[in-house]
Amino acid sequence: MSRALEHILFSDLSPKAQAITRAVSVSVAAALFILALGIVYRFHAAGQLDVRLWGLFAWKTTWVFLANGLLGTLASAAAAAVIALVLGLVLLVGRLSSQRGVRWPAIAVIEFLRGVPTLLLIYVCFLALPSVGIKLSAYWMLTLPVGLSTAAVVAEMYRAGVLAVPRGQTDAARSLGLNRAQVFAHVVFPQALRYIVPALVAQLVIVVKDTTFGYVVTYGELMQNAKVLIANYRSLVPVYLVVAVLYCSVNYAISRASRRLGRPMH
Amino acid sequence: MGSVVRLLADHGPAFGEALLLTWKLTVMSFVAGFALGMVITVAQLLPLRPLRFVLTGYVEVFRNIPSVALLIFIVFALPDLNVLIDYEPSVILTLTLVGSAFTADYLRTGINTVDGGQVEAARSLGMRPMVVISSVVLPQALRSVVQPMTSLLIALMLSTSLASQVPLPGRELTALVAKIANDSAAGISAFVVAAAMYLISGLLIAWAGAALEKKVRILR
Amino acid sequence: MPIATILKGTLVALTLATSAPLFAQGTPIDAAAFDSLVAQGPIADAATIASSTWASKIKQTGSLRLGGTQTSNLFSLLNEKDGRIRGFDAGLAQLLTRYILGDGTKFQFTQINSSTREQVLINNQVDLVLATYSITPARAEKISFAGPYYSSQAGVLVKSNNKAIQSYNDLAGKKTATQAGSTGPAILAQFAPKATVQEFQTHQEALDALRQGRVDAYVTDYTLLLNVLSLGTGDAQLAGAPFGPQDPYGVGLPKGSDGVAFVNAFLKKIESDGTWAKLWSVTIGQRTGSTNVPTPPPIP
Repeated sequence: MSRALEHILFSDLSPKAQAITRAVSVSVAAALFILALGIVYRFHAAGQLDVRLWGLFAWKTTWVFLANGLLGTLASAAAAAVIALVLGLVLLVGRLSSQRGVRWPAIAVIEFLRGVPTLLLIYVCFLALPSVGIKLSAYWMLTLPVGLSTAAVVAEMYRAGVLAVPRGQTDAARSLGLNRAQVFAHVVFPQALRYIVPALVAQLVIVVKDTTFGYVVTYGELMQNAKVLIANYRSLVPVYLVVAVLYCSVNYAISRASRRLGRPMH
Repeated sequence: MGSVVRLLADHGPAFGEALLLTWKLTVMSFVAGFALGMVITVAQLLPLRPLRFVLTGYVEVFRNIPSVALLIFIVFALPDLNVLIDYEPSVILTLTLVGSAFTADYLRTGINTVDGGQVEAARSLGMRPMVVISSVVLPQALRSVVQPMTSLLIALMLSTSLASQVPLPGRELTALVAKIANDSAAGISAFVVAAAMYLISGLLIAWAGAALEKKVRILR
Repeated sequence: MPIATILKGTLVALTLATSAPLFAQGTPIDAAAFDSLVAQGPIADAATIASSTWASKIKQTGSLRLGGTQTSNLFSLLNEKDGRIRGFDAGLAQLLTRYILGDGTKFQFTQINSSTREQVLINNQVDLVLATYSITPARAEKISFAGPYYSSQAGVLVKSNNKAIQSYNDLAGKKTATQAGSTGPAILAQFAPKATVQEFQTHQEALDALRQGRVDAYVTDYTLLLNVLSLGTGDAQLAGAPFGPQDPYGVGLPKGSDGVAFVNAFLKKIESDGTWAKLWSVTIGQRTGSTNVPTPPPIP
């Protein structure tokens, strides 16, 4: 295995260069520290470190309230993910079909769902569908568009995985007498999945991010609960900061989980 | 079909302006995000541990934060820290920050495709590290990430829809159709027009990206 | 850090630890008075409910689907500690719930804002909307209104140190905030056409914009502005007297619903037996320092 590029670039430096590097390292550390202090000072000067604004986080009720919001977020994200995985598979099968009458509509649907913003689809569910009589609950008006949008991306990921499975596998399976459907279901797809699991889980992060549009359709989730806290306690910066950290932590945890799964494609 | 024609007659110019605003937001955030992402990637190559640590944190934060949450923070919370940014720059700033994090990520992958042997050879010729990065590593890395960067550009264009959540003086595509749908019964046709505009823009970008990739890709 | 700041911080911390929070907005609502007022509200008899399909359906479902806000200080604010929503609009909604179902807490709440108010009724996501909802002919085309149950005019709010804006006449060229989907934009178009208008989704966001200096003035219903003044922080003031047409607030209902007649009868009942006035005192009067209870607007 070759070493990381940084090591090759900066190995074997002359003693003078090493001294310069250490000096720069220290000054950069000092500069970053001063930057951090500057930010803290800015908070202080704007009155944002006031105990009055942060005190609400010492109460259990605040955290319970935020946790409820987060549950709303995750409930929608989980269902959207399931829809995406299942519908994505349907679209994939259509996409790979040998019949043009099935393949072209599948491609059209995939390209449409990928090429249109999720927020636009959410507005369609909220503003346009009811005028033709389709009235969904707030939960589905958020979950369905997010699920559909993600399904198209997932379908393309499945396809990338399928294309990465070595052809030899297909040939061997066919020569053993399995028909096309069996080859796909028992040989190709399971292997394809293992290649793309990290990417699929990473897509889950995007699903969670999309649920922040819940307030557009009046679905209660974390952002909405943040606004209630702000209306009660005028604590704008601390509440938004904590909520941002919560979102980042959840998504980061999901990304970390994805990196442990699956194997590389080649 | 007739309703679409009527819609275009009533709101044609508004749609044109909205499309231009969408493209403007897209281009500005992409260019800024790309430049910033490049700087971050290069800085992460330097043997400065504290810098690398902070930049890794930066990338993780802006890859994982929902864009809407970031925009709301910039527009509604920052002024309480005495940082008042106008709405349009706020949208561009949000998309730039998020775009720079993803650019840094993709570019890093691109750098990893450059063979270590090339770098060793360049170093043994006496080239200084920064020169090696700028003339050997970066050009090849950039040429190998055209495809993910095209996807990022399309994603950024679709993300400009979040500008509808703050009171911008102009309306971009999603804000415009939401307003039309709210005010009149022309909802579905408005959405069809907007969807078509997004789709065509995306297809144009994808086609241009594919053509560029074919021209500059490195066959190994 | 100066000693004074440290001492002040300790004092605040001690106060926090030993008593109710210092930082509830302005005069907090008298929760006990509110809760008992709602718990004593009238209950409809079976015949009254049976005469309305809208009310019968709610009775059958066992809970009323309410569209409202959780973030409006005087009219409807959620206290996340006990999960109860309190305010003038909230009180009316809970009294109505008790009227139909016998218990003022049996409602399902959906958070709406000025952009989603009509749509949630059209989508049948809620049974009614009670959220400082002004009755306008344009809206009346899409949904039906019961009431009015309150009326207010528009007012202009500016920061205390703003001497340049004395009334709505001085808004030309100034950045003015208003709530999207409210009567604000129409009023501004009529009374201050040269103002640069910025529309916000919620009252709180528009207030913050004024406070943060993004806008020079905020034009909205006068009562909402009274609330800001009740905070007593001294950093905002009204510019001029209330102006514009009398803005009637109504209860939003699905178009053509017979709930309109039902709710109107309910409103007349609580207006005549004094509940309306008591609710106004507890939620608005006592908290804005106003003692004259207004007369409720006549219901057609």
